[in-house]
Amino acid sequence: MDDFLDDGIMGAGFTLEQILTDAVTSPYLDDSYYDLLRQDMAEWEAMGQPLSEAERASHEALILQENWLLDRRAYEKWLHLYSARCLYWIPAADGLPAPEVADPQHQVTIAFDDRRRLGDRIVWLRTGVASAQIPVSHTAHLSSGFVRVPTVREGEVKIRSSFLCHEIRAGHPVQVLSGWMGHVLVEEEGSWKIGRKLVCLLDAGRAHHNLTFLV
Amino acid sequence: MTRYQSIPTGLDGLVEEGRVHRSLYTDRAIFEREMTHLFGGTWTYLAHESELPEPDDFVQRRLGLRRVIVTRDGEGRLHGLLNRCTHRGATVCRQAEGKAKRFTCPYHNWSFANSGELRSVPLPRGYGPSFDRAKLGLGKIRVESYRGFVFGTLNQSLPPLQDHYGTALSILDEWLDRWPGAEIKLRRRTHRLICNGNWKLIYDNAADGYHPGFSHASLLRMRKARYGGGVDMQWTLGDVDAGLQTVADARNGCTFIDQRAEIARYWDQAAPMPGEEAYAAQIRARYPEVAERALDVVVGSGMNLNIFPNLLVIGNQLQVIEPLDVDRTDLIWYATALEAPNLPPEVNTLRMRLQEDFPSFGEPDDLANFEECQAGLSIPEMDWVHVGRHMDTGAEYDGPRGLTTGPVSDELPMRVFWTEWLKRMQSDDEMRAL
Repeated sequence: MDDFLDDGIMGAGFTLEQILTDAVTSPYLDDSYYDLLRQDMAEWEAMGQPLSEAERASHEALILQENWLLDRRAYEKWLHLYSARCLYWIPAADGLPAPEVADPQHQVTIAFDDRRRLGDRIVWLRTGVASAQIPVSHTAHLSSGFVRVPTVREGEVKIRSSFLCHEIRAGHPVQVLSGWMGHVLVEEEGSWKIGRKLVCLLDAGRAHHNLTFLV
Repeated sequence: MTRYQSIPTGLDGLVEEGRVHRSLYTDRAIFEREMTHLFGGTWTYLAHESELPEPDDFVQRRLGLRRVIVTRDGEGRLHGLLNRCTHRGATVCRQAEGKAKRFTCPYHNWSFANSGELRSVPLPRGYGPSFDRAKLGLGKIRVESYRGFVFGTLNQSLPPLQDHYGTALSILDEWLDRWPGAEIKLRRRTHRLICNGNWKLIYDNAADGYHPGFSHASLLRMRKARYGGGVDMQWTLGDVDAGLQTVADARNGCTFIDQRAEIARYWDQAAPMPGEEAYAAQIRARYPEVAERALDVVVGSGMNLNIFPNLLVIGNQLQVIEPLDVDRTDLIWYATALEAPNLPPEVNTLRMRLQEDFPSFGEPDDLANFEECQAGLSIPEMDWVHVGRHMDTGAEYDGPRGLTTGPVSDELPMRVFWTEWLKRMQSDDEMRAL
């Protein structure tokens, strides 16, 4: 297991022990939350504006920090970037999926993790006995093309970006994932958190070899 | 590379009582014969009717390595067509699914009805009296459907589907009839998982009640650490043969794990799923009379029913094995919804979430182990794979339906598979398109 200090140079984080008891129920993913996701999908279509210096310093920096923590496998710190009612969503349909093929209320996804399932995923990765992660995956995320997309939702910021993610596991070829991401940022306890993260893979509809790492 | 002199007579020495030869997983000549003599050589699952509900709907699939189209014609009848133009051989359909009255080959525009007949060719004056349009329809697969499950074969001498797989289909009835009057619906997206291993490693595993406590240690430890005992799959820990699960020979290569006796209450033993508390409360508030029964059908059936050679009915999902090469297989998990007039629609929102659980936390570990099997089996000096567990312990008995049944860790299902495998591979039956 990776060692880290609570407020080390990589920033604040949880301990694995804290995650074990964090969010062991799943009360907030209800009809209104799915409504919100349908609204998100419509809003992501819009033309975005390049970020201002201030937006880069807070929003782009947060997403780049997320990439860095994932690439460092610092999952306990990574979870700390997420809000209490968060979602990490990878549709199983290509592109900017149309609601009829990717409405998660009616369709299965590659990943649809509320706060509880994110905790499950981190604990699962840390068991050290997952054959799919022996040896472990290492990733290199590259994000660019950050734009702010308008939203009608007050207090929320929508940032769209393009990404490449290389993944390597000893004994296996390099996997390359690409596509775009949407981050919905919300303010919580005085700082920006990731409220919803959408990962649209270019090849979401195709077969994948081992997606047990975090994108 | 191979130890046998010729297929099929040389196969006998590769399948023995309690052990099979590694080359069955690694030899490309064997793989190629499987692709004709098993896939399409016997009744082979192709599609579910809910994927093509309307007249003129189609889906493109594989029957072994053959590209095939499953269609519904204008009158609603099902057809299985070989996706190969009778002119120069190009595929006539290049979409994964859709709606089409006709399939027109883009190369020279020969055009076929969705029932297969050749309808038109451009510049017809270029063909003389020998040109017999009636003989130039798309190759047709023999297809039959049972309660929405569409199977196909090119073996014209097989008995009808319901005779051939009657036992397995009677078990499928139990899987289907958990909510009276309900129908399962696909078109709910899929998990598509690549395995760099031979396809049979997946079939071997689908009725392997010996592996879960070990291969799924990550899932079981995570669940225990987060939720304590009592949730999903706890029955796979410890001496599973002292438990209530069984395996059975469902005949003609089909196999069955029955976990149902371990499940006191489906909903209480469900894996965690996003939205669980929100929708449980909503279902109980809106539909008090059916709520508890409805919550139970969110959860997987407690049955693994494997229909030779490629359909694995597990939990609430249909897994389809798509072999691509001797050491490369796609495993497609089709999510299912359950629809009935008196079934709360919220059930399906939860079912989608639950069907993401095992592809996230369970199957990847199995696939990693299958790939490592493939790596190990490539070693030429080590010949055998052991499939003899409970073969001679006296633990097997005549169980329900008169089926040979054993404790859950019994490798009876593998022996059942290999018996059917050998029979099909040595068969002289002719494979022929209609």
